[in-house]
Amino acid sequence: MFAPARAAYIHVPFCLRRCGYCNFTVVAGRPELHQAYLQALEREFQTLPGPVPVDTLYVGGGTPTQLRARELSELCRLLRTAFIPQSGYEWTVEANPDGLDRVKLDILCEAGVNRISLGVQSLQPGKLQLLERAHRAPDVLRILPLLRARFRSVSLDLICAVPGESLAAWQADLLAAVALDPDHLSIYSLTFEKGSLFWGRLQRGQLQPVAEETERAMLEAAWDHLAATGWDHYEVSNFARPAHRSRHNEVYWRGESYWAFGPGATRYVDGWRETNHRSTTTYLRRVLSGQSPVAEREKLAPVDRAREMLVFRLRMLEGISRVEFRQRTGLELDDLVGVPLRKFVDLGLLQDQHGCIRLTRAGLLVSDAMWPEFL
Amino acid sequence: MIECDHIRNFCIIAHIDHGKSTLADRLLEATATVNPRLMKDQLLDDMELERARGITIKARAVAMQYAQRGELFELNLIDTPGHVDFQYEVSRSLACCEGAMLLVDAFQGVEAQSVASAYAAMEHDLRILPVINKIDLKHARVDEVAEEMEQSLGIDPSEIIKVSAKTGVGVPELLQAICTRIPAPQGDPHGALQAMVFDSHYDEFRGAITYVRLMNGRVTRGQKIRFLGGGTTHEVLEVGQFAPHKRPCHELQAGQVGYLVCNIKSLDMVHIGDTVSVPGEGAAPALTGYQPPQRMVYCGLYPSDGQDFSELREALEKLSINDPSFDFQPETSDALGFGFRCGFLGLLHMEIIQQRLEQEANIDLVQTAPNVTYQVTTRQGEELEIHRPQEVPDAGDIVEFRQPLVRVNFVLPSENIGTLMKLCQDRRGVHRATEYISPTRAMLRYDLPLAEVIYDLHDKLKSATRGYGTMDYELIGYFPADLVRLDILVNGTRVDALSIICEKADADRRGRAITRKLKSEIDRHMFEVAVQAAIGSRVIARETVPAMRKNVTAKCYGGDITRKRKLWAKQREGKKRMKSIGRVDIPQKAFMAVLDTGNDKK
Repeated sequence: MFAPARAAYIHVPFCLRRCGYCNFTVVAGRPELHQAYLQALEREFQTLPGPVPVDTLYVGGGTPTQLRARELSELCRLLRTAFIPQSGYEWTVEANPDGLDRVKLDILCEAGVNRISLGVQSLQPGKLQLLERAHRAPDVLRILPLLRARFRSVSLDLICAVPGESLAAWQADLLAAVALDPDHLSIYSLTFEKGSLFWGRLQRGQLQPVAEETERAMLEAAWDHLAATGWDHYEVSNFARPAHRSRHNEVYWRGESYWAFGPGATRYVDGWRETNHRSTTTYLRRVLSGQSPVAEREKLAPVDRAREMLVFRLRMLEGISRVEFRQRTGLELDDLVGVPLRKFVDLGLLQDQHGCIRLTRAGLLVSDAMWPEFL
Repeated sequence: MIECDHIRNFCIIAHIDHGKSTLADRLLEATATVNPRLMKDQLLDDMELERARGITIKARAVAMQYAQRGELFELNLIDTPGHVDFQYEVSRSLACCEGAMLLVDAFQGVEAQSVASAYAAMEHDLRILPVINKIDLKHARVDEVAEEMEQSLGIDPSEIIKVSAKTGVGVPELLQAICTRIPAPQGDPHGALQAMVFDSHYDEFRGAITYVRLMNGRVTRGQKIRFLGGGTTHEVLEVGQFAPHKRPCHELQAGQVGYLVCNIKSLDMVHIGDTVSVPGEGAAPALTGYQPPQRMVYCGLYPSDGQDFSELREALEKLSINDPSFDFQPETSDALGFGFRCGFLGLLHMEIIQQRLEQEANIDLVQTAPNVTYQVTTRQGEELEIHRPQEVPDAGDIVEFRQPLVRVNFVLPSENIGTLMKLCQDRRGVHRATEYISPTRAMLRYDLPLAEVIYDLHDKLKSATRGYGTMDYELIGYFPADLVRLDILVNGTRVDALSIICEKADADRRGRAITRKLKSEIDRHMFEVAVQAAIGSRVIARETVPAMRKNVTAKCYGGDITRKRKLWAKQREGKKRMKSIGRVDIPQKAFMAVLDTGNDKK
């Protein structure tokens, strides 16, 4: 009853250093673990039923390009053995503007990588410094032509609403990034996550978050500008030029199945959602001693799975039609969430037209407050 | 059969935590009433709640055998509740005793409850046996406390027995004093049966167990008895005494304390203070002082969203079998739907019932703020009892609006007198007396509206005196006052469950405090929420909960989905425990917000 997974995520946990806002599964400055990590990945791939045909591959991190050139080509070789990219596939690798060189880019290109997600975050030196990023705008300008020459699609990550940032400063930052003519943009307002250095500084009053009203204005300014210039705002934080959506990420949001490997990685296969242990060293020890790296697993009842799918589908701006919901879940949307649905339509937060439900602009801004009533 | 002159009936009166239950435990041990193997702390308090709170809620009686100089005595300890809510039960228990042990903590000294209970015992002509407990404490100040007892209660210090219930020191002397100083009960075992009902409890298998003290005559298994007040006749299936568990015997006679089992299916039929006698011509006269239970505090109890009304009704019915002193009537609230208006003896009683509902019946409740009972005389000459603010007639129809006043005794360090006097004045208190019971401690007496007392006076007293002040009160009657109904509107809709009755002069302050409190209790919504306080159609205070402006998770990829779903599902559970009024989710706690009286103004 579950379609086989045709997407795979590989988590590479290495970084040069940990940025202040980051609470990801990351180890900074541990190059001696690279080799063990590659061995562990190989062991994990051996649990697959054989070479898996995939439409999308996504190598994220961490900083995958933190691996040395030799290690990077070993990673690509492992992936090409474990997976068989199907015609028209998308293979994304995340990278940072610093520490990238032609050698590594050639390795990726030759292996078949066709999409790069670049962690730019900003082009303003003060903001990059606050975010504790190692690169500056010239690094981005230097690297972009190299990427263009090798990969079909380039995506940039941007962060807004960092402490002290004004609406005008953000608009200038956004325009500068758009002027680089990327194919895809992900725009996040800064969040203070437990486990990050910023969290502690926030608690101690050393960081002053941007006012809610300013943050809202920043998001709306970005959304308005990008919509007006022909960008496809297809998910809360994601924007694409035509034919440049992240098909891999759409797998997550549509509630489809995917494989995942590496520390902290989450897979969704046969209705089971499993997460590997988040500590890189524990992950390595477990896998290399023949134990399962899985730390948590759950399988939802069909109704709960349907509700979850609905929520994440609604975070995609095209929304979902009743017909598709029925086909995917076997359930009637209105039986499941009719009451809150009508309430949110009345409040102007959702639109219900031609059998299709989608977020309005007002709904998008406060959408987290709706989801509890859908789950 | 033991003769009257070898029976001693007594109770222990003490402030909370002065060691009453521990002393009772020691007496049970010293008289070998309880097998040491089966001994546990607070043995007489067998309700879970009593143990948890360290208080006595129900009265109990235990018969102990004690030999002194070759003579066998029967000592009946009647353990009474200490709290003011159960004042009536206390007075009935006192009427069953000839003596009262006045237990005072060697460190804490005389407290308000000690004074109030001791006066009550004296009014019942009980012989007072003064005891200072906890003399083993490092900080015991036995001589000063003895002086306080002399100053405040006229106790002769030479009569005071000094004990440590913890170590057992002084307990033998205490037992001797019980036999020698407390008078034997008077009464004619050959006269007509006349017994006082001082408590009852419900046994699932045997029905009502009636606790009695025989004044005259005797009662035997198999005979017929009649409740003179209740007017019902029953056959006695079993008589016995508690030792401390039920121990059946052939008969009870004048002077003794014990229980009756009569196949009575509901506690409704057993009234505390009623008189047991025989049916027909030969009946003894009824004992004086019988009163139906007086409910002083009312509140609404509603099932939370998603909980069943009928489940709540069943739970209330079950509880009321055990405790007829609380009362419930179905009521409807526009805001909360179907629920019950429940009457209680006082605030502690209310808390106890609510806790028992949640613990024993596992019911999630929304409770409205408690109010006292008011009286209204209408233009048409009707006399109304008002149990909830919604029942208040239009201002134009009211000739007189009356509220209950209580006389409050405070015992506190004299350095805090100024603060307390201000607290009482702010609450419209009338000062009646100040007495110094020692160089550092004083007793103040005020007449105050009961409503002011139940809201927060106890908390304020504790904080004004760093915990050293204590209080106790008794109802003195209903008196006219300038009262109004204050309504609360949420987004223009009146929320009936949030209405209160208050003094007109306080309405502005209360209205501001309530709207402010509600603003802090109500989460931001996807729209603006206006909270207003109004008298009739006149709005006197307003607060606005601004609309949520931005609440959207930016990053949500494969690994984030489970975490986010769990977070949102948890928020959904939180929402379930709220009441939706219009489209505004109001947390349960907010219904108590009306208790916020605002800061005490200079």
